[in-house]
Amino acid sequence: MSKGSFHASTLSARLVIGLASVVLLGAATMMSARADIKIGFQAPLTGPSATDGKSAQIAAQMAVEDINSAGGVLGQKLELVTYDDQAKSDQAIFTANKLIGEDGVKLVVNGSYSASGRAAAPIFQKAGVVMISAYGVHPDITRAGDFIFRLVHLGPPQGAATALYVGKTLGLKKVSTITMDNDYGQATMDGFLEAASKYGVEVVSKYSYSLKDRQFGSIVASVKRDNPDAIYATGYFFTGGPLVAQLRAAGITVPIIGSQAFDSEKFVEIAGPAAEGTYIVDSFDRDRKDEALQKFFAEFKKRAGYAPEGVAAITYSAVMLMADGIKRANSDDPAKVRDALAATKDFPTLEGSMNGFNSLHELLMPISVNVIKDGQFKPAGEITDLSAFAPPEK
Amino acid sequence: MYYIDLAVTGVSIGCMYAMMAVGLTLVYGLLRILHVAHAAVFALGAYVVVLVANATGSLAVGFLAAIVVTPLFGMAIYRLLYEPLLKYRPDVPMIASVGLLVLMQDAFRILFGEQGVTFRSAFAFTTYNFAGITVSAVQIAIVVTAAVVFAGLHLFTTHTRIGIGWRATVSRPLIAASFGIDPIQVRYLNFAIGSALTAVAGGLVALLNNLVDPGIGFVVSYKALAIIVLGGLGSVRGTLVASLVLGLVEAYGTIFIGAWLDRDAIAFLALIILLMARPQGFTGARTA
Repeated sequence: MSKGSFHASTLSARLVIGLASVVLLGAATMMSARADIKIGFQAPLTGPSATDGKSAQIAAQMAVEDINSAGGVLGQKLELVTYDDQAKSDQAIFTANKLIGEDGVKLVVNGSYSASGRAAAPIFQKAGVVMISAYGVHPDITRAGDFIFRLVHLGPPQGAATALYVGKTLGLKKVSTITMDNDYGQATMDGFLEAASKYGVEVVSKYSYSLKDRQFGSIVASVKRDNPDAIYATGYFFTGGPLVAQLRAAGITVPIIGSQAFDSEKFVEIAGPAAEGTYIVDSFDRDRKDEALQKFFAEFKKRAGYAPEGVAAITYSAVMLMADGIKRANSDDPAKVRDALAATKDFPTLEGSMNGFNSLHELLMPISVNVIKDGQFKPAGEITDLSAFAPPEK
Repeated sequence: MYYIDLAVTGVSIGCMYAMMAVGLTLVYGLLRILHVAHAAVFALGAYVVVLVANATGSLAVGFLAAIVVTPLFGMAIYRLLYEPLLKYRPDVPMIASVGLLVLMQDAFRILFGEQGVTFRSAFAFTTYNFAGITVSAVQIAIVVTAAVVFAGLHLFTTHTRIGIGWRATVSRPLIAASFGIDPIQVRYLNFAIGSALTAVAGGLVALLNNLVDPGIGFVVSYKALAIIVLGGLGSVRGTLVASLVLGLVEAYGTIFIGAWLDRDAIAFLALIILLMARPQGFTGARTA
């Protein structure tokens, strides 16, 4: 090929690309002329929190597809506008402004952690944009204002419910606690420690560890010496897995109760046979006889290559709830959607039926407990006394 | 019993630190480069062990593969990354090294997934009970491996021509070269042995946690820096002592001051105190 013809061919290629992009642009404008309802979505897709971000993104996308294939909402399709917030507050603020300013989004599902959700919430509130935080547990998120909702139990109510479960349901009285040293781990443990005495639970010793740690030799040796009736630990599956394995390896056989974020198949994989008998409070009841849940479970596994964890289920439900809010408001006007969401009653989420929201738009819903049996998550009861773990009203 | 349990924890963690840090201190001693990417070699070792062990069903094959792969990788780091940069100030190769560590962490994330990899067979869960003191098979393996490795290293550097040449090059490079020792070969040897040791440490940590995630090298990377400074940069014996001391300080320290400081912070508290008391490190063999 001569040099000249090469130039000519690149030129014609450019023309074709140019034409094609004009056509595509036209098509895109025409499609948006049919006015899809945009749902903004933030999740940590890169960085150390990307495990959860990826699950959340797959689940949110599935929810949108499920809604659209069932005919959309109010005759319109939903469109997910996704940004990576890296679970960092600066990225959350930046992408929140982008969603509002560039994309003109009025309704947002936040599929991210506390730090980023907490940073984004005031921005959405100020712009009059509805935000549902799928699993961000910092109390400040909903305090940003009336446009903000939360679809997960706060840390302290989770802890309080755990105290009830340990003291009353399991009837265990002497407990050693192991706290993960971050917002989530500490807030949840605070709720437990505050409620413990109400149910006759005596905390015999308290330990804490850093999120990065995987070696718990000293804590394990100390718990062994303390000889409690049970151990309550807050953490994520990647800290909880090694922790439980090391506790069991040291010959400690008493029941171990883990916090919500232990909830992942990976926990069972890491802790192996040591995972047997571990209770996980506010866990995702995978066995529930619910067609939507079983369909979600199978489809998610197909797309992600691993089974969905609580984060995925809750994010899916958050998108579903938003669609339901639009339907009940009979409009995508954010103020109307806000009022419809606030009036939510007995909405079926993948994790069971939620009662509704309180005045601060905190979730009101029973807490289910799972126990690991033969390497599987099996239901171990539900904590239904909502007054025992009522979320704050302000 | 309790204090013995803590000692078991401290000694086994200390031995792991020693195997991880010795390669780092050797590179510093020889080239004056802070080889931060050593943590990536540690992680690579862990990944090779877990992936090969899962594929073949044999832990021994996994470790063997790591001992073959990581020295090649370590030597490649020297040849492709450090050698072209040696003519610049020492912070230039160090920055390149940090870059490689970040790149490798993301490469692990992309290749092997966010969630990390676990052993398919439950190698990690065998424990032995000696009169009420529980010791896991992995802890025993760590201590035995470290003992064999350091005894072997000692014999190698005192009884073989290559080993003596190596030691000579580390302490007096010019004189060693004038005796006909090829300093370049010593550098390759250095990276090969250091990488193999840290890979073994990585594999053992993988077993201990039953989890290899992209960040597995991260904590060790900064702790290793504390250790080699404590040990007096470039000193193998100092590094060994510092590793054991840190392992024990962490094990007991977590219990006494664990309510205010977590285990990782204790390492740096110890570092600050020691640097105030003995700026030349434990052994004072060499000052930076």
